[in-house]
Amino acid sequence: MSTHLQTPAADREAIPEAANPLGLDGIEFIEYTTSKPQALGQVLEMMGFRPVARHRSREVLLYRQGAINIIVNAHVSTLPDGAAPHDKPVIAAIALRVRDAAAAYRRALERGAWAVPPRVEVMELNIPAIHGVGKSRIYFVDRYDKFSIYDVDFVPIPTVEQHPPAVAGLHFFGVVQYIGNDRTEDWAEFYRELFGFTDLPDDKRFGVLPKGRILQSPCPAASRFYVQLIEPDASVLDVKDDEALQRIGLGTADVRTTVAELAQRGVEFVQSRGVQTEDRGALTRTWLQSVSFELVQDQRTVERS
Amino acid sequence: MHYRGNISDFGMDTISLAGPLEAKLKAVREAGFTQIMLSARDLVGHPEGLEAAVQAVKTSGLRVTGFQVLRDFEGLSGHLHEYKMDIAKSMLEMCHALDCRVLLICSSTSVHATGDTQALVKDLRKLAMLAIPMNIKIAFEALSWGRVINEFPQAWDIITQADMPNLGLGFDSFHMFATNTSLDELEMLDPHKIFLVQLADFMWTEIKSVEERITTARHFRVFPGEGVHSEALAALVTKLHELGYRGDYSFEVFNDDYQQMPLPTVAQRAWRSAQWLGEDVLRRSVPLPNQIRLKR
Repeated sequence: MSTHLQTPAADREAIPEAANPLGLDGIEFIEYTTSKPQALGQVLEMMGFRPVARHRSREVLLYRQGAINIIVNAHVSTLPDGAAPHDKPVIAAIALRVRDAAAAYRRALERGAWAVPPRVEVMELNIPAIHGVGKSRIYFVDRYDKFSIYDVDFVPIPTVEQHPPAVAGLHFFGVVQYIGNDRTEDWAEFYRELFGFTDLPDDKRFGVLPKGRILQSPCPAASRFYVQLIEPDASVLDVKDDEALQRIGLGTADVRTTVAELAQRGVEFVQSRGVQTEDRGALTRTWLQSVSFELVQDQRTVERS
Repeated sequence: MHYRGNISDFGMDTISLAGPLEAKLKAVREAGFTQIMLSARDLVGHPEGLEAAVQAVKTSGLRVTGFQVLRDFEGLSGHLHEYKMDIAKSMLEMCHALDCRVLLICSSTSVHATGDTQALVKDLRKLAMLAIPMNIKIAFEALSWGRVINEFPQAWDIITQADMPNLGLGFDSFHMFATNTSLDELEMLDPHKIFLVQLADFMWTEIKSVEERITTARHFRVFPGEGVHSEALAALVTKLHELGYRGDYSFEVFNDDYQQMPLPTVAQRAWRSAQWLGEDVLRRSVPLPNQIRLKR
């Protein structure tokens, strides 16, 4: 019981913050930038995505399957410091679903995140963002329940089914982030402090590429996702500490069935001595020198949001 | 050509030298050093601007030991905190532009700053978090005239409480000698969390007041082996080595006389100092084994 006459607990003891301080609830979208949006679009369509909407003012397309939203951004910034997209697609942003985007953004800044200055056109949504690894950004989105951010900034492509079903129940499982030497603790702290991620013990691993540190998001079980941090191989001379989001992990209840279904669509999977399709997972080949998807065995079936 | 001993982990600091940045870089490089500690002033004071300064450093081939210095940062609140955060971000951006991996921050002297440990911890955590995406380590140094933190064990305590992987100790021998902090206190340090060691000697045995300490620190330091604390410096470096410290040593020598001497002359003095520490004190093997190092 408690009454307002009681002494506030903060005077007596430090009560730890909630395990999910931002009300994190999964990934809203992942954004690629590329100067060859059609080439990437072909890859995405092979993987089961459908282009469903166009941005109102920029060269940006929304692809979707099931609850997975992928944004392909080929917009060339007119600002002098705007990074022009390259031929090689890069994962430029992850949008996180949170309870209150403004509050999440403020909390992140209070704890030492770098703000991304908003660059919004008239009547567009101002989605708060912070800097992530490399040149990537992390957006906070709180409109995903009753109506979505796409309702405002995107125009549906006519006659296209707006909610195409996912191939074999595919859903977001996580992202793989490549990091520099001795950087695991730094990045683990980044995700812990700013978003409430927790480290998975070393004996708990998913998929066929178990290397590195895996961080678990504090989301409810249904929308939980993972960030996998991978340092350069110890035998590699330290040439350059490039850090970036490397690939997207997609979950599926049955890896082999999904692999068969995707293979029919033309997707090739890596079959090498080190990596091959197993019940636990599979890895697609790399397209356009940078785009690959990892399949991970995951029992969850995620409904369309 | 110099006789080249194993001194690649010793470096000079631009504050010991007069003149433009390019002249300092040249003198340090030609004296045989491979690294240099830079100040924000070296970059922003460049007549052709920041980018030209960064380019000059990169062209020199010298590694940047660290970037200094963020002052009076921690413990502020309200608009003062916001103001200092902007300064900190600017320092981090310059440090990043240099591909430099260490930013030096020294403990606050500000009467406007709180001494509340939790507030200091929170601010240092925030600074370290800002530095993570840029792959920069924050070296926190106890300035011997810091208002709340003025000896390295106190700095270490705050660092331990803040518990950030990229927040560690910046260690300056001058301040340790000035406050007569015992060498035994080094025992409690985790050598992997010492991110920078700055060495300097000075000419007098005793410093009587805080004012004299500040004046000495800013005007009358000399290179290790040139003052009266050679033995203590030798003991310190030996101790750090025994503890497992394998990071860089930078000569933090503020000296008004050196500011009016030819740069090569000053750099030669620094070189002799590095030779003394590397060869006589640490007795290293020459030639250096493991020149090509794997990262781990």
